[in-house]
Amino acid sequence: MNLKNDLSDTELLRSMLAGDDEALTLLYRRRQAGVYRFALQMSGSKPIAEDVTQEVFLFLMREGHVFDPTRGSLSAFLFGVARNFVLRRLRVEQLLAPLNDESDEEIPSLHATADLCPLEDLTRAETIDSVRKAVLSLPAKYREVVVLCELQDVSYGETAEILGCAIGTVRSRLHRARALLLAKLRPVGEFEEAGSASVKSARCFA
Amino acid sequence: MNCQKFETVVSELARGQMMAAELRGEALAHIDACDDCALRFRDEQMLTRGLLSLAAEMDSLEAPAMIEANVLMAFRARNAVVPAPVSQRRPHSAYWLAAVAAMLLLAISVFVFRWTNRPVADPRNAGNQEEPQRKSQPVEQATPQFANNVPVPEDEFVPQRRKPRRMQPASLSRPANNQVANHVTNEIATDFIPLSYMNAASLQDGGQIVRVQLPRSALVNFGLPVNMDRYNEKVKADVLFGVDGTARAIRFVQ
Repeated sequence: MNLKNDLSDTELLRSMLAGDDEALTLLYRRRQAGVYRFALQMSGSKPIAEDVTQEVFLFLMREGHVFDPTRGSLSAFLFGVARNFVLRRLRVEQLLAPLNDESDEEIPSLHATADLCPLEDLTRAETIDSVRKAVLSLPAKYREVVVLCELQDVSYGETAEILGCAIGTVRSRLHRARALLLAKLRPVGEFEEAGSASVKSARCFA
Repeated sequence: MNCQKFETVVSELARGQMMAAELRGEALAHIDACDDCALRFRDEQMLTRGLLSLAAEMDSLEAPAMIEANVLMAFRARNAVVPAPVSQRRPHSAYWLAAVAAMLLLAISVFVFRWTNRPVADPRNAGNQEEPQRKSQPVEQATPQFANNVPVPEDEFVPQRRKPRRMQPASLSRPANNQVANHVTNEIATDFIPLSYMNAASLQDGGQIVRVQLPRSALVNFGLPVNMDRYNEKVKADVLFGVDGTARAIRFVQ
């Protein structure tokens, strides 16, 4: 077991496909947390995250031979598989949080007052909960870049591989996603009433 | 750097992403010069901290151990049912051999079945063939039960009139419920059931068989099953009378 700990993901995958369940165990323990967290952050549902994690590794058992190490890391491959499973599952269960005004009501405001520092008035737990709900309320294409780049600390390049798009697309989506998050975490009305500089900043570069 | 240019880099600046030192310096200088962009930068920093807190909060989350067990179980089951290489599979000739063996077994079964169910050359059945014509004749003529048992050679002397044979009721030698098929009349008759104590000697002087009808309920008296749906119907029976007119035995006919 110790010797195999030093093996790369690709080598473990090769051993696993040859029938080595020890390699599967190592690979699973190495990568399951990231896949599970990604699925949980994308869906906001533990049962879905558990199902997706299981399906990802079952897929790896069945179709692991399609992984091409020259095209990216196994971690990115697993994220890509997990992404497909999550989106499919969310489509089926229609759990995608709509991006409309009603959803904003469910998300506690990070800027309860006209304070210019929206996060300062809330406790850390409240902040985390607010951010989590705000992320979940994003459209899928923005949510996935936030989850990958911000929460999973995946590079732009790997995110582009996972999503199958250009790095520039990842950058622009992330920029747009952060703007949406700020908008959700800050009620617009309060900013307008307080004459917030943030609103002015929107006009500043216009 | 103007505000529009600053907006393109503010996210990466707040996230601490690597960027050109010159660009970073210009952005920081713009923050000092523009209050609006300074607030914008602070919002981005707050958002970054919130996201980092969320990531840190979920960093310890892992899939339940049950998932690992399920995956491992599926993996072992999958490896257990991996089909054998083609070279190790049974050749097609094995299937043909099995098919031929099955057909052979079927043929043998049919032969054995027919052989076991073939008509038995029962001498009593042969005797019954003449029974309809001889019902009213004396027993010694009507039931030459074993007359045809042994074939008579052609060169053997055959008397014109056979000596009367002693009649031996079938019920004395066989169980009472042993039914006899009459192939000539398509009648099925039970063995003779003695109506009173008698022995073979009591019938030495002959007797008569008379066809009678009895209520079906009479079957019960002889220990025979009765169909209650046909309880009121009549049933045929042959009664064997001795020379003294005493009813000696009875058999039921269907």
